[in-house]
Amino acid sequence: MTYFSFTKGELLTLLRRKQDTMNALIFFLMVVILFPLGVSPSPEFLSVAAGGIIWCAASLAILMSVEGMFKEDFNDGCLEQWLVSGLSLPVLILLKVSIHWLIVIVPLLIMAPILAQMLFLPMDIFYVLLQTLILGTPALFLIGTIGSALTVSLRHGAVLMLLIIIPFYLPVIIFSTGAIRAAQSGMLYDGQIAILAAISLASLVVSPIMSAISIKASVS
Amino acid sequence: MHSSISLNISNLWIERGERYLCKDMSFSLSGGDICKINGENGAGKSTLLKIIVGILSPLEGTVYYNGEDVSIHRDLLHQDVLYLGHNSAIKSVFSVAENLRWYFPNASDEAIAYALSVVSLSGYEETPSSQLSAGQKRRITLARLWLTDKPLWLLDEPFTALDVQGVSSLEKRMRDHISNGGLIILTTHQDIDASLNVKEINLTL
Repeated sequence: MTYFSFTKGELLTLLRRKQDTMNALIFFLMVVILFPLGVSPSPEFLSVAAGGIIWCAASLAILMSVEGMFKEDFNDGCLEQWLVSGLSLPVLILLKVSIHWLIVIVPLLIMAPILAQMLFLPMDIFYVLLQTLILGTPALFLIGTIGSALTVSLRHGAVLMLLIIIPFYLPVIIFSTGAIRAAQSGMLYDGQIAILAAISLASLVVSPIMSAISIKASVS
Repeated sequence: MHSSISLNISNLWIERGERYLCKDMSFSLSGGDICKINGENGAGKSTLLKIIVGILSPLEGTVYYNGEDVSIHRDLLHQDVLYLGHNSAIKSVFSVAENLRWYFPNASDEAIAYALSVVSLSGYEETPSSQLSAGQKRRITLARLWLTDKPLWLLDEPFTALDVQGVSSLEKRMRDHISNGGLIILTTHQDIDASLNVKEINLTL
């Protein structure tokens, strides 16, 4: 096994097992569409709430996507093969997360302009939303990976994973929606964006190592 | 021909729950050896393999590969080891050939076709692995033995799911491997061809 064959294999797996990704995206779409119907369809309300709605829906969709990230690899014995492959486990994990991020976030970003229009989000604010999604979602994936790795050997680990992960998602959601609110009020939002980038970069360093330790513990 | 390799197990203590699977076990193996780990179900055969390969840690004791402590220099061992565990480690979304190519990206089509023919899976190259039985999946795993150039093989129940001809082919492959200086450690309940000069290690419940 090489890093290239691993990456190619993971990409192929996700593309062939479309339903996992589709479920997360359909869930994201349904939450965003149903929210105005359930709360208020007025443009004044929606234009203010749009950032929060899209971010909460995206966070839940990402949670759905990362929850079973290592489950099948654990069940079929592939995780053991990662451990003895001679390749760096944190790097393998980072490659897997990157592919998951790419496959889930690119369609989500493609859908975002349509959803922003539907929620009456002004175009200049939409660009801020886009920035927060690009800079904030890597942190959600990377943090979620640690939870997924920690609970991979548990039969019903999904709830435990949610309990572990949700508190770490809060700063990302708070600073993302904070940046959008600041932009809507005509204030500077560079600080929030910088903090989002910092959280993602810190997660990029910590998550693969923490996840690798968790996977080794789970497999043994 | 593989360069000279050695594996030394020194004062190994393995515990599972409240029970010791082995106490103060020591043995040495080198290139050209085949070692069979004997024991009833639950005696700890697979656990011992996992400890040797570094997936599990022993209670006490050290595994040395080429004189280096494996718990410190795990990469040295992992560069040289082919470990076939109890699970097939087969991706169900891949075809049979894709599964082998995932492990051996540089293998030629001919080499993969040959490896599959040896394990009686000719013609299944493009078949999705999800459509195969557990036995056939196990045989995809075993086909890796005909594609690898790693000197140290750790095989957990390799003869399971093989017919008489498959067993004979595997024994021949093992004979070729040790004659090239390779080292094999395996668990099996099956008797192995006596001409292979198998060293035996017994684990008792």
